[in-house]
Amino acid sequence: MPIVAENISYVYNKGQPDETYALRHVSFSAEDGEFIGIIGHTGSGKSTLIQHLNGLLKPDSGKILIDGEDITSGNVSLRRIRQKVGLVFQYPEYQLFEETVEKDVAFGPKNLGISPEEAVMRVKDALRLTGLDYDEIAERSPFELSGGQKRRVAIAGVLAMQPKILILDEPAAGLDPGSHDRILAMIQEIRRERKSTVILVSHNMDDAAEMCDRIFAMKDGEILLSGTPEEIFSAADILRDAGLGLPAAADLIRRMRDMGADIDADGILLPEQAADAVAGWLKGKERRGKKC
Amino acid sequence: MLRDITLGQYYPKDSVIHRLDPRVKITAVLVYIVMLFLVRDFTGYGVSLLAVIAVTAASGVPFRFILRGMRPIAVIILLTFILNLFLYPGTILLSLGPLHITEQGLHQALFMVCRLVLLIFGTALLTYTTKPMKLTDGMESLMSPLSRFGFPSHEIAIIMSIALRFIPMLVQEADKIMKAQQARGADFESGNIVRRVKSLMPLFIPLFVGAFRIAQDLAMAMEARCYRGGSGRTRLHTMKLEKRDGAAILLLSAYAAVILAERVLSGMFF
Repeated sequence: MPIVAENISYVYNKGQPDETYALRHVSFSAEDGEFIGIIGHTGSGKSTLIQHLNGLLKPDSGKILIDGEDITSGNVSLRRIRQKVGLVFQYPEYQLFEETVEKDVAFGPKNLGISPEEAVMRVKDALRLTGLDYDEIAERSPFELSGGQKRRVAIAGVLAMQPKILILDEPAAGLDPGSHDRILAMIQEIRRERKSTVILVSHNMDDAAEMCDRIFAMKDGEILLSGTPEEIFSAADILRDAGLGLPAAADLIRRMRDMGADIDADGILLPEQAADAVAGWLKGKERRGKKC
Repeated sequence: MLRDITLGQYYPKDSVIHRLDPRVKITAVLVYIVMLFLVRDFTGYGVSLLAVIAVTAASGVPFRFILRGMRPIAVIILLTFILNLFLYPGTILLSLGPLHITEQGLHQALFMVCRLVLLIFGTALLTYTTKPMKLTDGMESLMSPLSRFGFPSHEIAIIMSIALRFIPMLVQEADKIMKAQQARGADFESGNIVRRVKSLMPLFIPLFVGAFRIAQDLAMAMEARCYRGGSGRTRLHTMKLEKRDGAAILLLSAYAAVILAERVLSGMFF
């Protein structure tokens, strides 16, 4: 299910004194099953961009094709687009509203006109994917759950629509490290099981480096850089200019190299790679030390 | 779509009107409202219209912007016009079945519409040209003589400023929740009225829950900064009357005099 965005621009408060360009001539594409990361400073246009992908916002100019269908034209079925493209907003737990978890998760499928029996199946499946126990949680009020559980229920609400493309805006923001890791593992699991295309918007360079096939770095409504994590994070200076940093492990290794350690820092992004590199360097040092 | 509501918003600009002391502006609007109710015929409205147009021109707020802000109220204005047009007794001008348009009704309808439009126009100017914080500071200052009699002027002012602060926040929140529910296939725009009201539940419940959450956070933040009410509180910006405020008061008095004169004179002739 390829996504193609051609030259899209979007202006906030058009015609008012505080008119601002949120997106300027953004073009990109994503292949079926790809895992795309969008990174960028606050206000760089990430959230605006993803809201275009399921028709919540219409670009002032440019075209968006989902599966070859132009979703910016007037006569497109928004319901079908939203079924195809599931969008999980930032802090999704703030949209929970039903009396029970079951009803809340079933809200999306119900809106799509799916039969009650089928909806129950989908709710069960979605809750299972998010790691929640249907029997234990279905009849409880979503408001009495813990923060991490609420987030899972909210994500399940989008998964229950069985979208082919899943877009998540900062899905792990504001969670403790344990819940953070579980949410990310859950996203990997969903992708594996459903073979869906995933777009992850994140501030966290470590997450982006670890999970994504390709990353877009945004600044001031434009895509500044795009490429594999290795390519993106080798351009540290450009990233810094956009208010972005490196993954912690990559940063550490570069600092060690700059302080004189004989380590090849290129292409190192993840903690495991960094650990290998440091271990190798230490061993090499030891050997050299013995020689003398 | 919720962003389109411009009524009650602040329009940033650096004009004489924007710089006027908020107390003067509030007083002016109060006087203006009283005057609108004292007006006897269209001459008075003509004068008032000229006055608000002059103020608007001086404020630099585009007329287009103000007119757009009035759009949501068009229904109320239209309803006022229709009700007055058909339900006022007098000499019949035109009959449409059981409905009669009378001469007095037509006069009354136009009269009421003028009054409403001028009321909204004038009061909107106050919020367009005054920052909410200044507005509440001004109100607090104007009400402060009453606090000697136990009137909670500071509390009322802080409640108002918090309420004003909450409006854009809630609008934003509503916008976000609406989009999130639309992403789950919610439809806020079609169906009959019962369906539409029902379809608003997924918006209103999270909005209320959110409002309580924000209020609680705000209360805690105020508490953490030792907020203890109004007594002994000093201000960063103290209000001082300038020359331009004096000029504004003079102009306001002139306007009030004209309207009062018109009322007295029209009373003499009719």
